[in-house]
Amino acid sequence: MWYFAWILGVLLACAFGIINVVWLEFEHLLEVDEETKADDQAQAAAKDATQN
Amino acid sequence: MILDYETLKIIWWLFVGLLLIGFVLTAGFDLGIGTLLPFLGKKDEERRVIINTIGATWEGNQVWLVLGAGAVFAAWPLIYAAAFSGFYAAMLLALFALVIRPGGFAYRSKLSDPRWRSLWDWALFVGGVVPALIFGVAFGNLLQGVPFHYDDTLRSFYTGSFFALFNPFALLAGIVSVAMLVMHGGIFLQIRTEGEINARAKRAVMIFSGLFVVALALAGLWVAFGIDGYRVISMPDPNSSFTPLEKTVDKVTGAWLVNYRLYPWTVLAPVAGFAGAIIAWFLSQRNQAGSAFIASSLSLTGVVLTTGFAMFPFMMPSSSHPGHSLTVWDGVSSHLTLSWMFWATVVFLPVIIAYTSWVFRVLRGKVTVEDIRKDEHSAY
Amino acid sequence: MFPTEEVVNLSRLQFGLTAMYHFLFVPLTLGLGLLLAIMESVYVMTGKEIYKDMTRFWGMLFGINFAMGVATGLPLEFQFGTNWAYYSHYVGDVFGVPLALEGLIAFFLEATLVGLFFFGWNRLTKVQHLTVTWLVALGANFSALFILVANGWMQHPVGAEFNYETMRMELKSFTEVFFNPVAQVKFVHTVSAGYVTGAMFVLGISAYYLLKGRDRAFAIRSFAVAAGFGLASALSVMVLGDESGYELGDVQKTKLAAIEAEWETHKAPAAFTVFGLPNQEKQTTEYAIKVPYVLGLIATRSVDKEVVGLKDLMARHEQRIRRGMIAYEALQKLRGGDESQPVQDTFELHKVDLGYALLLKRYTPNVVDATEAQIQQAVKDTIPHVATLYWSFRVMVGIGFLMLFIFVAAFYFTAVRSAWNQRWLLRLALYSIPLPWIAAEMGWIVAEYGRQPWTIAEVLPTFLSSSSLEASNVYVSLAAFVVFYTALLIAELYLVFKYARLGPSSLHTGRYHFEQRGRGTRSKEGAP
Ligand code: HDD
Ligand code: HEM
Ligand code: HEM
Repeated sequence: MWYFAWILGVLLACAFGIINVVWLEFEHLLEVDEETKADDQAQAAAKDATQN
Repeated sequence: MILDYETLKIIWWLFVGLLLIGFVLTAGFDLGIGTLLPFLGKKDEERRVIINTIGATWEGNQVWLVLGAGAVFAAWPLIYAAAFSGFYAAMLLALFALVIRPGGFAYRSKLSDPRWRSLWDWALFVGGVVPALIFGVAFGNLLQGVPFHYDDTLRSFYTGSFFALFNPFALLAGIVSVAMLVMHGGIFLQIRTEGEINARAKRAVMIFSGLFVVALALAGLWVAFGIDGYRVISMPDPNSSFTPLEKTVDKVTGAWLVNYRLYPWTVLAPVAGFAGAIIAWFLSQRNQAGSAFIASSLSLTGVVLTTGFAMFPFMMPSSSHPGHSLTVWDGVSSHLTLSWMFWATVVFLPVIIAYTSWVFRVLRGKVTVEDIRKDEHSAY
Repeated sequence: MFPTEEVVNLSRLQFGLTAMYHFLFVPLTLGLGLLLAIMESVYVMTGKEIYKDMTRFWGMLFGINFAMGVATGLPLEFQFGTNWAYYSHYVGDVFGVPLALEGLIAFFLEATLVGLFFFGWNRLTKVQHLTVTWLVALGANFSALFILVANGWMQHPVGAEFNYETMRMELKSFTEVFFNPVAQVKFVHTVSAGYVTGAMFVLGISAYYLLKGRDRAFAIRSFAVAAGFGLASALSVMVLGDESGYELGDVQKTKLAAIEAEWETHKAPAAFTVFGLPNQEKQTTEYAIKVPYVLGLIATRSVDKEVVGLKDLMARHEQRIRRGMIAYEALQKLRGGDESQPVQDTFELHKVDLGYALLLKRYTPNVVDATEAQIQQAVKDTIPHVATLYWSFRVMVGIGFLMLFIFVAAFYFTAVRSAWNQRWLLRLALYSIPLPWIAAEMGWIVAEYGRQPWTIAEVLPTFLSSSSLEASNVYVSLAAFVVFYTALLIAELYLVFKYARLGPSSLHTGRYHFEQRGRGTRSKEGAP
């Protein structure tokens, strides 16, 4: 019954995707976000400066 | 299997009519609006307003056509085979027009170059008017009969030419079809726009509903007095399975009116066709676009049924070998296929109608130039 | 008068081109659709705005692709009627059913709801919108399901029987058609191929942003989703590819033998030819390098069953042609009005081979008077061109292994939190974006070209299937397809490249790279 296997398989594959990123999210990405946020703010400030 | 073969054949004739009505009522206004687009939208923002009235729903509407083709394939394989290969060049022309349409919605506003945008606007125009015309022409030809026949292995041969399809009566039918869909599209635009565009749409409805009524009347007279209808003389038991080679048919002027005489209630169909259009015109001019839309839907339904009632039981008469004509009784699939498809349709069609209505409800309301400005980057 | 060979070949070319072109867009719709559903699920679960941006950005690329999927699917739906009229007459009773169900169950669902996916963000609640996204993805999978049930039936026509009164195949059991084992493996293999395609696309483009050092928070997350989803899909595509049901029917056996260029039946277990140059004329494979046992293991999962070689299959086909001639003779009597019991019995006994007799129609319209030489010619026709299958298959499988490696690596390095520093991996992922498309097209060539000379395996030969058209008609339509499709492909690729380069900045949220250096997209470079 490959149709049945598909139902399980597709759920499993989606779960793989979700778990992979959620795990990363709570363990690691907060740091990345901090990094990029600092980066962003610096850039935004620079942009404001050029516009004014 | 509760339903007998003969009943299922008739039910499937009705279902195909239903799908066709679904197509003209929904995709019909998309095609009409595509046709109007370059003329009603003068500035880029106005054109975007027009496109966005149907931008989110045209794809679903088009599926009525896809499903129509699929259902004819499953329930009327002989007609699918003979009509699509016989009308080869015309079919492909309509297809190419439909192929360039999706880009008009999804790609047009993704670049800001005016030449790019204008190119896609014309793609939407062609994608609207060409299929509308060709579907009308196809029905014009079905009413006159198509030159085709079968050999003994049931291979079909079309013996007409491409240009023969565009004869005067068929062109008139094409005009009926274009005018009808443009009227319908114009009314839909009235519902979903305001100001300038709304006023222009109203003017378009006035012109095209007039054209439609006149063309429809001419076509009706022509069918009654000008072209030959077909009549079955003898055939095997309709409750059995047989091929199109086993009956006799003759061709007589006025035969397309016989059903109306036999079953007077069928006259309601042409009445609805005319009355609906006239009422739609009236309501549209009084800015009651919502009610006008119902009236024009009624009119479109009437026109489809008028053709069906006139031709019943014929679906694709043969002008060169009338005995080989395809009818409700012999152009059809086997009993088992018809019943499977019957149950599938009974279950899924209401579901489709339910979620389609939900989507239209969620997306209701006017589309304005301000909306486009606000969603400049995400609107079509 | 039959359609000429020219019309048949042109129609084949036209169908093959338009179907393969359609299949450039289909796999991405299948894969990206689910990836969008995954990303949006995470958005709803965590409430983090960045996942909404991901859904919307990849969704925009999805939309550009989807439009072409719709545009190119339409001509296919009509082409069976326009170019394959006799086919449509002969098997429409069976084949039309899954096609109609596809419209009824799948196309309506996805095409109606896809509009809400794009335009419903402000009109629906979060959960409603998420449901819409999942249903769009589900609709795409259902459409693949039904079309592959149809296609699987062409490969292995179960649940149907020939009716001599109506001269066509008629449905006997829909459940048999739906649960056709060939259709089942085909479905899972093909949708998995789609998932891999979507995953590779997201992985590669995210890798590009990481290489450029832009929008890292966005790219890392996309990369992680694609790596997880892609790994599972890449495994599934390989397992199911291996499973593709070859024990069934002579045609699948012939395909297998052709893929492996096995001319002779060797003693079990058969060896696997890693490399070789198949020669159709001499019916041998030159310069073959073989690995013992492996083919037997793959094809029969045993060491004692043999893989039948092409020469033996041809001998079988010759017998079936001869039996088919008896069936054909009986059919002629039946159609001529002689419906006596002995004739009926003869026909019933031999009708499974009727299709083989039809192969003779190419050489003699009468079939029953075929000469020995004509029979031999027809026998030769029963096997496909070996070299084409042999190489297409190897390309597909090679790519399968390569992609598995990429996803394993991507998954591993994501798990150890250093994928974004592995520049070799990022570069590999970026340059591998085209691979799944190549593999998928090769797969279709194996499946479809390997089915020749049949359109419906052992039932209806290809050269009988087409419409009775003038060649000039088909030349014109084919030329028009080439012109239109090329122009559309250029437009599509231009938009995909432009928006992929631009990245999430194209959403105009103010949060991404190009919006923050005074290089706003509004000015010159960017989106309208
Ligand atoms: C439902 C039926 C069906 C389905 C799902 C497909 N095909 Fe097919 N294909 C046919 C039905 C068919 C056919 C009508 O039977 C053709 C035309 C002539 C022939 O021999 O087979 C064919 C031919 C054909 C050819 C040319 C083979 C040749 O000339 O020998 C190619 C390359 C493909 N197809 C590829 C595809 C692709 C990429 C598909 C995925 C979208 C696909 N097919 C789906
Ligand atoms: C050769 C046979 C095929 C035919 C006749 C066909 C027909 C179609 C049609 C008519 C559409 C447009 C639907 C619309 O208007 O919404 C379409 C789109 C699509 N098809 Fe195909 N198709 C074929 C092969 C395939 C295969 C083999 C698959 C999957 C494995 C597939 C999956 C899809 C998907 C996912 C779409 C996306 C667009 C949409 O559904 O609206 N198709 N196809
Ligand atoms: C180890 C890897 C693989 C194996 C063993 C394998 C095997 C096969 C086989 C035997 C077929 C022919 C089925 C038939 O004739 O009916 C097939 C078809 C196909 N393959 Fe693969 N394949 C592999 C990898 C891939 C990959 C990576 C892709 C694409 C991303 C892919 C896409 C397809 C497609 C689209 C088809 C046609 C549909 C079908 O017949 O199932 N395959 N594959």
